[in-house]
Amino acid sequence: MGKFILNIIHRPEMVPEYAEKVTGQGKKEDISRKSLLTESLDIFKLQQQIAHDNGFKTTIQMTYASLFNEEAVSLAKEHHEKFGDEISLTLLGLPCKEFRDKYKTKDFCIWMFSMEDKKSIVDDVFEKFHECFGFYPESTGSYYMDAELTNYIKEKYPTVKCAVATCWEEGPKAYHTCNNSWYTFMDGGPWNPWIPSRQNTHAPAADEAEDSGIVAIPHLSRDLLACYDGNGSNFGTHPQNVLRGMIYQDGQYPYLYNLIDQYRHLEKFNHGYSYNMMFVGPGWLNKMGRWEASYELLKQSYEDGMAYYGSLKKEGKLTDMTMAEFADYYRSNKTYTQPECALWKDILYGSDKQLFWYCDPFMRTCVNMDQGGAIVDLRPYAAKLNWPVGIGTKHVTDASYPFLIQEKYRAGYFTHYAGEGTIRSAKLSYHGEEVDLALCRTKAKFSEEGKTRILTLDPVDIEFNQLTIELQTKIYFEEGSSKIGMERTILEMSNPKAEVDINEYMVACYGTTEYPEDMTSITLSCKKDNENKEILYAYKCREEQLDGAIEVSAVIPPIETKVLLTASKEEATGYIKEGYAFSPMFTLGYTSKLKNKEVFTTWLSLEKAN
Amino acid sequence: MAQSGKGKLNYRCPSCFMRDIDIDMFYDKEKKEYYCIRCQYTGTEEDVLKKNEMARFRYRRILNRIKEFD
Repeated sequence: MGKFILNIIHRPEMVPEYAEKVTGQGKKEDISRKSLLTESLDIFKLQQQIAHDNGFKTTIQMTYASLFNEEAVSLAKEHHEKFGDEISLTLLGLPCKEFRDKYKTKDFCIWMFSMEDKKSIVDDVFEKFHECFGFYPESTGSYYMDAELTNYIKEKYPTVKCAVATCWEEGPKAYHTCNNSWYTFMDGGPWNPWIPSRQNTHAPAADEAEDSGIVAIPHLSRDLLACYDGNGSNFGTHPQNVLRGMIYQDGQYPYLYNLIDQYRHLEKFNHGYSYNMMFVGPGWLNKMGRWEASYELLKQSYEDGMAYYGSLKKEGKLTDMTMAEFADYYRSNKTYTQPECALWKDILYGSDKQLFWYCDPFMRTCVNMDQGGAIVDLRPYAAKLNWPVGIGTKHVTDASYPFLIQEKYRAGYFTHYAGEGTIRSAKLSYHGEEVDLALCRTKAKFSEEGKTRILTLDPVDIEFNQLTIELQTKIYFEEGSSKIGMERTILEMSNPKAEVDINEYMVACYGTTEYPEDMTSITLSCKKDNENKEILYAYKCREEQLDGAIEVSAVIPPIETKVLLTASKEEATGYIKEGYAFSPMFTLGYTSKLKNKEVFTTWLSLEKAN
Repeated sequence: MAQSGKGKLNYRCPSCFMRDIDIDMFYDKEKKEYYCIRCQYTGTEEDVLKKNEMARFRYRRILNRIKEFD
């Protein structure tokens, strides 16, 4: 591909998020207040002007409210004619007098409505759009688009081929940051564009049969390290997000440019393709200022961000596209199973930490080099979990794709006092001493061999009292296999005749938030030819093992997932461990002996379990 | 005592910000101070600005333009 592509999206939001709460403080709520409408349109005009001045075309996502505003409609037509902007339609910005009169609710997030209301709202909004412009839009979006909603839109309005469909890692962390008042739970999705499956928006389609018919783009391009740990709304290609995070000093915010450049760098791992999305709602350019920043600084940051993109375009390093153009480009340049890869580096905290993110139709996972290449996040997309959201479903607001491993919500390596956290790592032991690779900080290099993406970690030293080992880890992601291979090689031993024990393990559970779920439906198994040992989860802290096990597995019915480990050495011992109330986890693992120069490989596989 | 209002620029509580919570403070005109309705922080505008500087301690590369990502 060899391209860095930028989507710039603006929306004339007549009642901007935040604006009513901020500018309206001390006044009775009135979403039709004239000053609010005028200011909002002024901000939209300003954003459009800044983009056009830098030589960009934009995607204008009309809000429902703006379709009742003649000036907004005529501006969109004019900018389409003059600058080639795409006139699109967002499902954000629903609140307006007309909407509230009809639906008698203050809900505004499309994925949270009942299915009946979703259909009715889509029909209202799309038909109103048609009435204004004489055609149906080619792109749409919201902060999240659930699969049922997308499927309905695609069926009824087949012109739609692109949608803003999720905010990366906007879940419990964003909720907490907003003093537990921001109900956008949508963790666990891709960070870069993808083709959503018909079953679950987060999980990319594996083939044509699963294809939802749209190309999804994320809301903003987020920092893959800072957002994973902290508030997502501080670390994205959104200049005012950067101000909100206080990541500026003396009016300077180089972090914004560093973030854009690191996204450009991702072309190295994705056949020359990289992507950015900038989508700033008008509420973020509030005339009264926001997040301690004056209006002047808010505006300046938007101008500077756009100017940086503009300079890249002038240098021939960036191609701007509308959303519909991008959908065509994406489909003609990507295969279904081609993964999205990102070897990401800390660019803000000075830690030098390195993460590797991998996403394909079967999984999304994160490898943490600061923890010796441990897997610290794992979403089993292989299950293509049907997870309807909205009023009338089991998940009114929780749209996150469940995890098996999530180090922030389920501890990871370090726990307090007792129990274990979710992680996929390995322990080496010798004469009563034990070392977990999660404590061996290292770095990785990325390479590709055929259809396999490989992470090669720098060797680490493990020091026991009477023995030092140099060990190297390689991690293999074979395209379309739904497997992760972890290969450990003993490169050197201070005593070449020594033998160490290795324990390859995965501690997991399931969930979408920090809080534990009921584990009682889980079945753990250890298999060997005709022998099978099982534990039906009952929080009893039981263990089973089998020498020469061909696989160890867990079936997790609530998320329709089977996860299993297999090993390269036939004589390795497979084991399963049940957790207990204070540690509601399960463990799958293999133990073996390792000699100098020996290699031991284990594979983690994911399957759908009906 | 009259009710409080938002001060200029919607200052957030610096103490809560440091634990990843964004919460706008309110301004007490009589005491001439901002206060947090969630935690126990109170302070003048000058103190808020000083504490906001402190909150930036974790961004060790806040002013670095980074060109190398390998």
